[in-house]
Amino acid sequence: MLLTEGVGGQFLTQGVDGQFLAQGVGGQFLAQGVGERLLAHGVGGRQDLPIPFSAAVSGAAIALLVSFAALGFLWREPRLAGIPSYVTRNTTWLRPAIGIVIAAYFAIGLLFGPDTPDNPTAGAFYVLFWVGLVPLSLVFGPVWRNFNPLRTLHRAACALLRRDPDHGWKTLSPRVGYWPATAGLLAFVWLELVAPDRATLPVITIWLTLYALTTLTGAAIFGSQWFDKGDAFEAYSTLIGSLSPISRQITQPTRPPGRPAAKSPQDKSPRGKSPHGISPQGKSRRRDSHPPAQTKPRNSAAKATESPAHTKLTLRNPLDGMAGLAHAPGLPALVIVLLGSTMYDSLSNAPLWVRFVQESRLPAPLMGTFGLLTVIALVLALFLAATTWAARLGSAAPATTAGELAHSLVPIAVGYLVAHYFTLFLFEGQHTLALLSDPLDTGANWLGTANWTLQSLGATPASIAMLQVTVIVIGHVLGTVLAHDRALTLFPHRTAVIGQIPLMALMVIYTVVGLLLLFAG
Amino acid sequence: MKSLMVLLVCAVLSVTACGAASDAATFSGPAKEIAVTIANGTVTPPPARVEVAKGQQVKISVTSDVADEAHVHGFDKSASLQPGTVATIEFVADQDGLFEVETHESELQLFQLVVQ
Repeated sequence: MLLTEGVGGQFLTQGVDGQFLAQGVGGQFLAQGVGERLLAHGVGGRQDLPIPFSAAVSGAAIALLVSFAALGFLWREPRLAGIPSYVTRNTTWLRPAIGIVIAAYFAIGLLFGPDTPDNPTAGAFYVLFWVGLVPLSLVFGPVWRNFNPLRTLHRAACALLRRDPDHGWKTLSPRVGYWPATAGLLAFVWLELVAPDRATLPVITIWLTLYALTTLTGAAIFGSQWFDKGDAFEAYSTLIGSLSPISRQITQPTRPPGRPAAKSPQDKSPRGKSPHGISPQGKSRRRDSHPPAQTKPRNSAAKATESPAHTKLTLRNPLDGMAGLAHAPGLPALVIVLLGSTMYDSLSNAPLWVRFVQESRLPAPLMGTFGLLTVIALVLALFLAATTWAARLGSAAPATTAGELAHSLVPIAVGYLVAHYFTLFLFEGQHTLALLSDPLDTGANWLGTANWTLQSLGATPASIAMLQVTVIVIGHVLGTVLAHDRALTLFPHRTAVIGQIPLMALMVIYTVVGLLLLFAG
Repeated sequence: MKSLMVLLVCAVLSVTACGAASDAATFSGPAKEIAVTIANGTVTPPPARVEVAKGQQVKISVTSDVADEAHVHGFDKSASLQPGTVATIEFVADQDGLFEVETHESELQLFQLVVQ
């Protein structure tokens, strides 16, 4: 995918344990250094697997089929309660302040550092921030909203102007849903995977400026709720954070009649707005994801639960959290851009694709754009075909089926993200942390990390290859469970299992294609 | 399903535990010779993965019709290319992994070197 030329590559290969750093067919990343390109290589690849690759692929497919069969026999009623994520309203300044400090530190290298491979900006943006948000959100939930410096800027500007940050000049139509974030995510993955000179400061600066201007304009017009589904990185963190085991329970002793016990104060849980709400058994989970119901209860609930004294952190089953991700327009597209772009990243490193691009005679960015959009379109077409077919077999409405099943793709996308970026994060992350001590390249050691040498942290090519297969399979199995549970509420009982056969086929195709691409060659 | 996941996690852990002690293999065989020609922006043979053994001597010969620079990533070996003249890069593939070999000016990938 990105960056590092020259010194970066040397660092990767000459660190401690340099024996196996910079290698592997797995999660490589393409680099666009100063005028030059380079693959900074992942560790672990097909040849490193302790079992033959064909065995890994067929094992993955069998694991899916077995879990599908087991689900059909053993999991006959919907069980997932749809517990919304733990989302703090911004009641303190601590996390926003941390976000601002980090953003300001990042800006030093971006604005004043030299445009060389020793500048930490590209690594901080693409590796620490973009990839780092995956583990952060997986553990703590949709946290980016708490740190998002743009949200804080908006809030500060509203405070200065004595405006209510929650209300803009216009009301955001619920039909907009995740579409702005989807567009933003597409813009980001294009930058990350296709844009020429994407690791250079001018390109990153231009992109971030456009992103900040668009997002702040949206917030100025529609109020802070624009960030929820309009900001690509908040939506990304929300998707992944839905798998977090942490949620919050509201412990108000007296609550207005008709309000469900586990009601979320935020708008990501239309299920929480149902009069039936979220019963502890989850039996009454409804498909009432009508976005128009969102705005009003959201704000009143937010006011009512402003005090943290009324809430406490609880653990939840990540699947309950995932099932609690509210459907909104654009959600399937958002998830599929995430999944498809990661697949394209794998594809773009395959010799077959390299050959195709080099022989086409068209400019590489044009071919890259074409490839990225094609892969995303194929992933989308497969998903729509499977859900339409499933809706037909299960006698449900095709239009709602796709939206209702979109959440089942999130663990799959997360599996790919982890498999694909694990080595990048592990090694380039360390490298970036070292560079961050000296963003102006003056020999400084501000953070005390400048002299870090690359540690393998126990990772070997074989263990990494095995991890990649494992997280992909786990992601698909979890996706199957989520799709199954949702199908039980979507489809009439007698067609619930048969209706899932297309979904099963979809999962198997995604697994096999994903593994082939990840270990392409 | 839980037991399946536990099984998978155990598999990963066991591999991690025993995989750490791999030694650098030494290879005593003939050098791997790879010849690449660049003409009119086209690479012949077309980009592919070339496998060599860890520790094997690698000899890359590049002929280009324009002045350029060829570069092996990871090993950080370069050779300047003059039109019509064969340039060679020689090194011992002592790190395993996947490494891109490419030109800098024309930004063409010549091949990917797989060392294992």
